[in-house]
Amino acid sequence: MSADFSPNPKKWLLIGVAGLAVSLIGFFVDTQIAAWSYLIGLIFITSIAIGMLFLVMIHHIFDAQWSVIVRRQAEHYISALPYMGILFIPLFALTYFGKDQGILWLWMNDAASLHGHGTVGTDILYQKKTWWLSEGFFWGRAIFCFVIWSYFAWAFRRNSFAQDEDGEAKHTFSSRKHAAAGLILVALTWTAAAFDWIMSLEYHWYSTMFGVWIFASAMRASLAVMLLTVAYLVAKGPLKGILNTKHLHDVATLAFAFTVFWAYITFSQYFLIWNANLPEETFWYNDREQGLWWPISMLLIFGYFLFPFLYMLQFPLKTNYKSMTFMACWLLSMNLLDGYFNILPSLKDDHGEVFQLFSDPTNIIWYISGVVGAGGILLWAYWTSFQKTKIIPIRDPRIQECLNHNH
Amino acid sequence: MDKQHGLIAKFDTPADIMHAAEKVRDAGFKKWDVITPFPIHGMDPAMGLKRSVVGRFTIVGGTIGLTTGMLMIWFTGGSELSLPFMEGYKLIVGGKPYFSPQFAFPVSYELTILFSAFASIGGMFILNKLPRHHHPVLKYKDVAQSSNDKFFLYIENEDPQFDDEKTRAFLNDLEPVEVGELEE
Repeated sequence: MSADFSPNPKKWLLIGVAGLAVSLIGFFVDTQIAAWSYLIGLIFITSIAIGMLFLVMIHHIFDAQWSVIVRRQAEHYISALPYMGILFIPLFALTYFGKDQGILWLWMNDAASLHGHGTVGTDILYQKKTWWLSEGFFWGRAIFCFVIWSYFAWAFRRNSFAQDEDGEAKHTFSSRKHAAAGLILVALTWTAAAFDWIMSLEYHWYSTMFGVWIFASAMRASLAVMLLTVAYLVAKGPLKGILNTKHLHDVATLAFAFTVFWAYITFSQYFLIWNANLPEETFWYNDREQGLWWPISMLLIFGYFLFPFLYMLQFPLKTNYKSMTFMACWLLSMNLLDGYFNILPSLKDDHGEVFQLFSDPTNIIWYISGVVGAGGILLWAYWTSFQKTKIIPIRDPRIQECLNHNH
Repeated sequence: MDKQHGLIAKFDTPADIMHAAEKVRDAGFKKWDVITPFPIHGMDPAMGLKRSVVGRFTIVGGTIGLTTGMLMIWFTGGSELSLPFMEGYKLIVGGKPYFSPQFAFPVSYELTILFSAFASIGGMFILNKLPRHHHPVLKYKDVAQSSNDKFFLYIENEDPQFDDEKTRAFLNDLEPVEVGELEE
């Protein structure tokens, strides 16, 4: 590590705690919006960490050479996964001890009235799903998901950091086996998490594409964060002369690939529902055409697919730190907007009117605090882990090939 | 002997041919090439080659494909235009609008890929000046070794800097195994 580079994890912890504190105030001031914003921020930041976990596993399963340096950065980020689990506790408390248990997931409150037809308890569509959507099973699944993710995060980190000390090949083999099992388990648990945390907000609706969509979303978010991380570390010194534009180009190419993948998945989900034209599915998109959500959906098509697609199609832009820093920031903002688009219109008032993003300017405080809180914790976990370990895995069997990787 | 086409040098190792290519590049030769049994990593910059422009052909092909698909579906199902030998005929299918980009998109997307592939292959043929059934290098006695374990570099006499004696001396300075002559 270069002498003049000293990260300050405490700063990020303070920012994170400040964000969480504002969200906590929000729980008392404007409980519903603050809780939904908190959920969006938490899912957004968790998806970054999950995407990093996927990157590590994909690296190991392919025995990749070029991504050894990049993998070490992902290993820092996945240390945040247990903390993300802890950050879910307020939501549990809110729905378990709160006045209105259906404040987030409407089905948690049997007495909640549905617009036009009785209550949740008398709703046949809920009664048929009670075996899956019951509170005990729901929180049990959430705990199971975080235990699985934290275990794999711990295993990959242990193997990689232990190899720094002794240089044994057995750590690489262990990681490879973990990756094979982990890809299946994390894919299934992440899909279940998407069904639980996002799709069950609107429990009438279902989409088999949803798990793939949130996988694509996590990959795009984590690759954007990875681009920012490497650009920052190269600019500030620690990776200067170690990580070259070819590594950047490869990460950018992955970000480009998942741009197309995301568009493919999102369009497939939309197209099947549009084509089948069944009212129990189309209402979800109809809700997302109300008010400001219509221009936002257009912005997602052109801003989250077409513009990044045409931008990252160009080799000179993919090999330039500045242009990729801009694209990474753009992708992250669009990813967050996509999160709002998928989550927030599921919130409706008593007349079935869809919640509008800027209906009340004070909501913006809760939007920001939800993301900043979890985001600060993620960066605190990253820099804490960064400080404790070597900047690159110096004894990885593939490190020489990675360092020699060039255009 | 037939007319001379150029001079060819034979090398033993990838490292030798790479350093030779760098020197030929720096000497400013334009019409020259290397022949190797396998792709050598880093040969493109060593030869001073820029990135291929095949991508330009691809994006033009892709754009044409997307437009063709959209226009075709709009014309057949959503318009009443009259073209020679063709009539647009408005038709409702499955209660959907006459035309909407949603259902036209999968077909247009497939056409985008198809036309991109055609344009890439066509562009590759044009840029490589293919098809070409014979090349003077194939007359050279040792050229078959280039598919086994030898590396070749040749400079054509059409190169503006080419001078039989000077270029021969230049190639000898690169320390090849031998320098030979290519016949037209």
